[in-house]
Amino acid sequence: MRELFNQIIKPVQSLSEHGMSQVDAWFLQERNRFTITGLSRSGKSMLFTSLMTILKYRSEEKYNCLPLLEALPVELVEHMRLEPLPGYDFFPVDDHMQALERGNWPAPTEQAYGFKLIVRLRQTSTLKKYLMPYTDVVFEFIDYPGEWITDLPLLGKSFVQWSDSAWAQQASEPQKFYATQWHDFIEQFDFEQAPTREAVLEVVSQYRRYLQHAKENGISMLQPGSFLIDGSGFDWRSQGFAPLPSKVSSDVSHPWYKTFSAHYDAFQKQWLQPLKDSTFRETDKQIILVDLFEGLNHSRQHLYQLKETLSHLAETFVYGNPNWFARHVLRQQKIGRVAFVATKTDLIPESQKPNMLSLLKQVSEGAVAKFEDKPIEFEHFLVSAIKTTDSGGHDNSLRYTNRDGAYVEAEFEALPAKLKDMEADAHYPVLDAQVPKDHLPRMLNGRGLDRLLQFLLN
Amino acid sequence: MSADTSQRYRSKVTQRTINTVQPETDMPAKIEEDTTTIAVKKRGLSLGTTTLLLGGACAIGFGVFSAVESVLLSMDSYPVTSGILGALLAGFVLCMLTLVGREVKGFINVNRHMDRRLDYDALSTSTDKNAILSALKSHAGAFSSHSYAARCYNTFAQAVNSDQDAQEVLSLYRRTVTQPVDKRAQEVIRKESMTAGSLTFISPNHLIQTLMIVWISFRTIRRVAQVYGLRPGTFGNWQLFKILAQNIAAQSIFDLATDEVANQISGSLTARFMENSAEAVAAGALNVRLGKALVKLLH
Repeated sequence: MRELFNQIIKPVQSLSEHGMSQVDAWFLQERNRFTITGLSRSGKSMLFTSLMTILKYRSEEKYNCLPLLEALPVELVEHMRLEPLPGYDFFPVDDHMQALERGNWPAPTEQAYGFKLIVRLRQTSTLKKYLMPYTDVVFEFIDYPGEWITDLPLLGKSFVQWSDSAWAQQASEPQKFYATQWHDFIEQFDFEQAPTREAVLEVVSQYRRYLQHAKENGISMLQPGSFLIDGSGFDWRSQGFAPLPSKVSSDVSHPWYKTFSAHYDAFQKQWLQPLKDSTFRETDKQIILVDLFEGLNHSRQHLYQLKETLSHLAETFVYGNPNWFARHVLRQQKIGRVAFVATKTDLIPESQKPNMLSLLKQVSEGAVAKFEDKPIEFEHFLVSAIKTTDSGGHDNSLRYTNRDGAYVEAEFEALPAKLKDMEADAHYPVLDAQVPKDHLPRMLNGRGLDRLLQFLLN
Repeated sequence: MSADTSQRYRSKVTQRTINTVQPETDMPAKIEEDTTTIAVKKRGLSLGTTTLLLGGACAIGFGVFSAVESVLLSMDSYPVTSGILGALLAGFVLCMLTLVGREVKGFINVNRHMDRRLDYDALSTSTDKNAILSALKSHAGAFSSHSYAARCYNTFAQAVNSDQDAQEVLSLYRRTVTQPVDKRAQEVIRKESMTAGSLTFISPNHLIQTLMIVWISFRTIRRVAQVYGLRPGTFGNWQLFKILAQNIAAQSIFDLATDEVANQISGSLTARFMENSAEAVAAGALNVRLGKALVKLLH
């Protein structure tokens, strides 16, 4: 009898509990979904690690961090907690902190991680105190390899379109310089032979070598970036493809075209589309991380190439600002607020930051143009997740400890405020700063995160 | 950076090893728990109490002296008693003068503080971060150490960093100093007004009621001034005195009116209760008015 009663009552109880938690979610939770879009090496993992650490120390230990963050007043924070995000492995913050402890930077991300960060705020209004005693501000973050993001534009292209655009990119600087070996290989390759598994693997491997070489030299537009990571859910060895010379790709009956086109379709359907639906699901706020040092470290052409990459990336997201009804009832998800963030800005002197900001604005011009006619709010930010450097002897210099453990003073010539002002034969080598021993206080003294979060939460 | 890059491009960063070690960065300061209570100095015998005691002693002394004088009218040679009474009188006058001097100093301090009020409008248009920081520092110079305002200013000073621009600094100051201090002052006013209302409610007669209101009003001014970092006892502004006088007058008129209404209704306990309740509400409201005027002056 009791069992029968339990069988009847349990589903009702579960429904009731589910209903109550849903009601709580409606009235007591303010949900913020952030898409953090960043190319490879743009500092996503370090940013997440820093963000989690800073918020933890701010909420639990009441450290005076993030002073400009008015949206989460420290005196109202009751507690902060981390929760896993369904469908994702938990972001390995402890591993990253241990790596920093050992003097290593967090390892590059090779798979998708997710986490929910929930900050509970006390209610101040007298009436609300009784009706809704707290508000949970929920952040959902997903970390993923930056290499994946550059592949998203492939969803809108056929194999031939992609192949042609890849050749066009390789024909111009700075890619051209790094593609010489790949071009030589293609010129000598016999496309009359059948596309056997071994022959395909040879071509794809050679193309992958070019991608790796270009990546090492600061090229950001690398497609397919997923081939560069073994942790990707696509087997490039058995289903890989590469751009084909136009004499081959223009002949739809050519065996090599057929093979690569089939592999390309599989790449889109089996890997890219599910990836976009899960990892790059549309949200209402987007942070686009830009590592300007990838350009400054190399050349002006690299910066132009970075600008082009960002412009292509912006095409893959849906921008707009749906009203309350559309957002909550019709469930329309469009990105209504975008933050362009230049990372690792502790690596330039304070006096050069205005020029850095100006460069960031110029590099993101193409992406901004994609939503210029829509009611999108956007802003540019300079952020350093950890302050690895100290001020130098004068305004244009700073000091840091390099990999050999030596304390070095680096003196900068003025950064260009515009891309065209950067000399074609000059570069600003990125400082090879090692993880400081006092990395925790330096993380808590990171710059710009408060301004960024305030913009996104406001 | 690869070898390719360093060979192809000229570096615009020159580096040299320096013979020092990297300095260690301190953890950010912690935000202190808001446990400040309005400091009421506990002293064995305060100056005010001494004055009152001396005043009482004088009154008793003169009374005794008069009594003795009347008994021993013809005996005019009491040098010791006369000396003691003279000393008591001198002490009383001295203490009164000290109290007056303290209030004069307080008056000067409040006015000086008002002269140094922050011109937010001018600062809001400024882009010079150093000028703003200097103006804020100068303003905070008037806060007495260990005051709530001084503590808020310390929190602000710890949060300022090189990354923030002029307006962000000003906004940070508003949020970490101006707003919490105003909020705290409002709390003090609310508490003091409740006390004023309660004391008025239980006062047995109008004389005691008026004295209570005067006492609570001065205490409100002192405690609010303390929140703003002015030293205890700093109350000496004519505008405040004017409001205080108006409050007392208004309370007296209100007393007459409620008495009359109570007489008209009946002399019952209910009427008395209603009269006292109305007077208590009025006393609380008038105290809030006084507190708000003070906040406006000190803000």
